[in-house]
Amino acid sequence: MPSSMIDVFRAQLHSSIYWYKNNKWMFFSMFLWPYLLVGVMLGLGALVGNVSLFSKRVGVVDPAFYLLSASAVAMSSVGIVDAVAGFALYNRWLGTLNYIFLTPIREAKLMIAAGIPDSIITPLISVVAVAPAAFYFESIVGGLKLVIILLIMYMGMIPLVGLSVLAATALLFVREESNIISSITPFILLLSGVFYPVSVLPRALQVLSAYVPSKYVVDAAKLAAKYTSMPWGWVVLTLGILAGLGAIYNGVASYVVTKAEVAVKRKGVE
Amino acid sequence: MSSGNAILAEGLLKDYVTYIRKGFLRKRKRIIHALRGVSFRVRWSEVFGLLGPNGAGKTTTVKIITTLLLPDGGRALVNGFDVVKNPIKVRESIGVVLNVERGFFWKLTGRENLKYFGMLRGLKGKDLEEAIDRVVKLVGLDELRSIDKLYEEYSLGMKARLALARALLHDPPILILDEPTLGLDPPAARGIRELLVRLAKREGKAVMITTHNMFEAEIICDYVAIISSGKISAQGTVHELKRLVADKIPVSIKFSGKIASDLNAVSKLLFESTLSPHIRIKEVRDGFEARILVDAGNEEKAIASSINALVSKGFNVRRAEVVEPSLEDVFIAVTKGDGENAVIND
Ligand SMILES: Nc1ncnc2c1ncn2[C@@H]1O[C@H](COP(=O)(O)OP(=O)(O)O)[C@@H](O)[C@H]1O
Ligand SMILES: [Mg+2]
Repeated sequence: MPSSMIDVFRAQLHSSIYWYKNNKWMFFSMFLWPYLLVGVMLGLGALVGNVSLFSKRVGVVDPAFYLLSASAVAMSSVGIVDAVAGFALYNRWLGTLNYIFLTPIREAKLMIAAGIPDSIITPLISVVAVAPAAFYFESIVGGLKLVIILLIMYMGMIPLVGLSVLAATALLFVREESNIISSITPFILLLSGVFYPVSVLPRALQVLSAYVPSKYVVDAAKLAAKYTSMPWGWVVLTLGILAGLGAIYNGVASYVVTKAEVAVKRKGVE
Repeated sequence: MSSGNAILAEGLLKDYVTYIRKGFLRKRKRIIHALRGVSFRVRWSEVFGLLGPNGAGKTTTVKIITTLLLPDGGRALVNGFDVVKNPIKVRESIGVVLNVERGFFWKLTGRENLKYFGMLRGLKGKDLEEAIDRVVKLVGLDELRSIDKLYEEYSLGMKARLALARALLHDPPILILDEPTLGLDPPAARGIRELLVRLAKREGKAVMITTHNMFEAEIICDYVAIISSGKISAQGTVHELKRLVADKIPVSIKFSGKIASDLNAVSKLLFESTLSPHIRIKEVRDGFEARILVDAGNEEKAIASSINALVSKGFNVRRAEVVEPSLEDVFIAVTKGDGENAVIND
């Protein structure tokens, strides 16, 4: 019987769980990561600049809460790109890629399904990590906002997976040994306006940023930090944009991967 | 199990294109003809060996018939399915071992690794547990509970057995293994060889291995194809292959001394003295062994002239004799000194 995308999803989910179980330290450090980042940001900010000016520029009321949720979003975006695009590199490096490609399933389906579990786990961990802070700052409302942010993050994940599959295919094709991904992720962070407003970027980059899914997720985090009640109309609009981007990116990705498959298999994946 | 051949390869072609840097931007294209028309068949219940030196094209052949690499020409059927047109059916039919040194997650235990690869193939729940128990017992990883140790703690022998366990997890009718005993110590290699023979003879599976080890091919393979420089230079049962050199006599000369640059110089010296093109020299314990195939009737003369030549160059000749023909001699005869980097037996 051929394997289904669900089989691939299940296998990948289990391997992530086993991995975290055997590397508990890594697991716990992921919960500390947003706080470390915010600590550094605020520390540096207070040293070289002015935290209240920053709040005004970015347009948030509570910089600590905003930075925490923005860090969670940043961590998730990086995590998703890493999970999907890094999948090919990491497994090639381990020598597991050929064995994974022996699974009786189309390569495009395999690559998309394999990236999903970590794309779900990382946002979840990042939100759980900042949850105590959210409750501390804004009690139950803070918690509720996080749930909304997580929801938007998951919607943002869908187009990001498509983008990352494209990156992974390119990586397989050029047989790049060095990690291009590590240069892609800062770019995505830059374009999503995580740590400063997109409006300070050059015009061309501002236009480009409209196509970066995590920008909308970051915007959601900003709004959540700004208002005491969520602007529901805006939330729905964001979800709509992300759904559209998701359809486009994944459509393009599965088309390109199907086309590129032959070229990649002429060279071999490992 | 379907009738006909388990694997059929016809005229497989494969070129690799590489680029050599010539300065900052200039690159020169280089084409490597890895396979130049490779044909063979593997039958059910048979252990088939693709024997050849390093760089002969064994791994390339394995990658093509396992659907991991597209051929440039020719075709291959596995379990009756075309590797290019129906790769998913092919993958369902095969268990594969590629490189026994790696290919698992280091931070997962052997069992967790098997669970992952089993789940990829759609196994779950009790079926998965039972499949794992079955293969772990089969390859002998149940001893000392080594299956629950992290893969990073595995010895090479354990890694090879785990690779074999993964290949058997979905109980495929065909096994394809690329140098499954490479680098293993003799007892570990023996264990794997015995298991492969058992799987072919008792369970009727088709087993294809590649190897550069003549001894291995001779003792476990029902049928051997010799590959060198991307071509099959001879194939048949070990018995048939040996008949190819029936009119030749193998002569073995053991000698010691300093070999200044490479074995090729000595090879040339022996060629000049015996006029036989079929010469192979390898390192053995405390020295070297030259194996020369000479026409029947010429063996005495060849021994005498080689001893003279070696002694005149300051070598110490220990032993010179006519020996029993083996697969190694067939190999020497059909590859005509191709693949000088081959290790004959290790
Ligand atoms: N990915 C590759 N790119 C370029 N050349 C390759 C590649 N893989 C193998 N080759 C070359 O193709 C030839 C056959 O290699 P291979 O099939 O690995 O031989 P074997 O497994 O018998 O040692 C060798 O000359 C090798 O250098
Ligand atoms: Mg090889």
